[in-house]
Amino acid sequence: MTGFAAFLRKELTEIRRTWRLWVIPGMLVFFGVTSPIIAAITPAMVKSMTASQKGMVVRLPPPTALEAFAQFIKNLDQFILVAIIIAGAGVISGERSSGTAILVLTKPLSRGAFVVTKILAQVFLVITATALGTAACLVVTSMIFTVVTVAPLAAAVALWLLYAALLVVVMTLFSAAFKSRGASAGAGLGFYFLTLLLSNWAPAARYSFLGLVPAMGEALTGRALSLGWPVATAIVAIVGGIASAVAIFERQEL
Amino acid sequence: MTRSPNGTPPAIELRGLTKAFGPTIALDHVDLVVQPGVVFGFLGRNGAGKTTALRILAGLARPTAGAARVLGHDVTGASEAVRQRMGFLPDVPGFYPWMTARECLEFAGRLFELDSATVSTRADALLDMAGLASVSTRIGGFSRGMKQRLGIAQALINVPSLLMLDEPTSALDPIGRKEVLDMIASLRGRTTVFFSTHILADVERVCDAVAILERGRVVASAGIAELTARATAKAIVVELENDRDTAMVASVLAGKNWLKALDTRDRSLHMTVSDLAAAQREIPAAIVATGAPLRRFEIDEASLEDVFVELVEGDDR
Repeated sequence: MTGFAAFLRKELTEIRRTWRLWVIPGMLVFFGVTSPIIAAITPAMVKSMTASQKGMVVRLPPPTALEAFAQFIKNLDQFILVAIIIAGAGVISGERSSGTAILVLTKPLSRGAFVVTKILAQVFLVITATALGTAACLVVTSMIFTVVTVAPLAAAVALWLLYAALLVVVMTLFSAAFKSRGASAGAGLGFYFLTLLLSNWAPAARYSFLGLVPAMGEALTGRALSLGWPVATAIVAIVGGIASAVAIFERQEL
Repeated sequence: MTRSPNGTPPAIELRGLTKAFGPTIALDHVDLVVQPGVVFGFLGRNGAGKTTALRILAGLARPTAGAARVLGHDVTGASEAVRQRMGFLPDVPGFYPWMTARECLEFAGRLFELDSATVSTRADALLDMAGLASVSTRIGGFSRGMKQRLGIAQALINVPSLLMLDEPTSALDPIGRKEVLDMIASLRGRTTVFFSTHILADVERVCDAVAILERGRVVASAGIAELTARATAKAIVVELENDRDTAMVASVLAGKNWLKALDTRDRSLHMTVSDLAAAQREIPAAIVATGAPLRRFEIDEASLEDVFVELVEGDDR
């Protein structure tokens, strides 16, 4: 794997020096801060909206730290996954179209190392940003609510990270397979919405990585989960996705 | 595998190399041998197939048929071993716009896993050579000429045994072009330089040998002197004392089977001949026969441009 460390260092420097530093980490910290606040003010907002309607009485239980966590996970599941799709769409196709892939791949770095490094750097970015966002969420939540335990949040975030890592691999695969950033973004959004839809089908959720989506919400409730199949199939899909992305990219002419 | 007289494999060896894009044949059974240490020009019109051949040699594309060997290795089999010892500059080099020139060279050096002291020393020397030592702006703000010079510098960071350059001077101003050609010439004997171009003057200036590619086929490959000597058409100029003598000699020579073209102007006959030896015998005889006094008899050496045009136009026919 000649050149692997140099290319990984370049990827991490690129994250630090370009827009990539701000988009996903910025969004995660933003949602980490705002999710507890939204959870805290939601009952008051609902009450004020229904106050003008005579005869309607809305009784909401007082908000809790769990609701703040649920709001944070919901935001991760919607906005951040879409951001990962958009950011990941050009991860290989962008290097191909700008000619930088030729600069790098006419040196001893192999195409396999090129693809694996891209995935590692993105996963590193997502993990770091998620840690920051989760920390922000915990700090703000503890300032507003009484936090009894962080274990449910940690479990839900861990499941989300596994799903996000799978999405990173899928986007790298699409970016290797399609020539344009737009095509890979379209395929990524299609994959995202299809998995979202299929995750509502109980057998698919029980025996495949699709089960990670509903499991995030369930993890917050602290119930015992049966995650063997979803986790195992997610790991198999990640490994298979990496192998496919490498195989596709190795066959391509630049 | 062919070997040079000292037993080392050729820097580049193409055998029946063919590349097709659907029905379009970009390279058609190309045979070519480039010996180590030479500066080799790969000459051809735009679209002749030069870039396709270079992309195959750099491991960026695969041949449809035939074989391509670089420094003794098949490019499709031992690509990493080949890339360790080669430098490559594409026709439009792509860079990370957020890097500086120094960062780009250091990154290139680290991809070869050179130690940091070596990378730093070579980056200094190459930045100086490329005229970018005092430039601290990011590459995103560079002109095309600056990118071209940086492209050549990054291709040299590993001190390659084979340097392959695709149209290296096409984006440069006259001074930048001279600097690049001087740099290429300075590598002679140490590094094999294989560069594609459509600029004949560049080839004549620095190359030891040249191959002419036309419509995907090598129509000539030889040393520059050998190639120009091969030109079938030669130009001869005869200057006499006056226009009347010129007309007389022209009338004697008209119809000679070796005479391809004859033009008279300013007391001179400008002739293109297909058989130089016959012309050298019969033109003086014709002048003596008419009794015209001779002022000048000159044989113009064929230039690479004459050879190129002759070969390419011959291919068109």
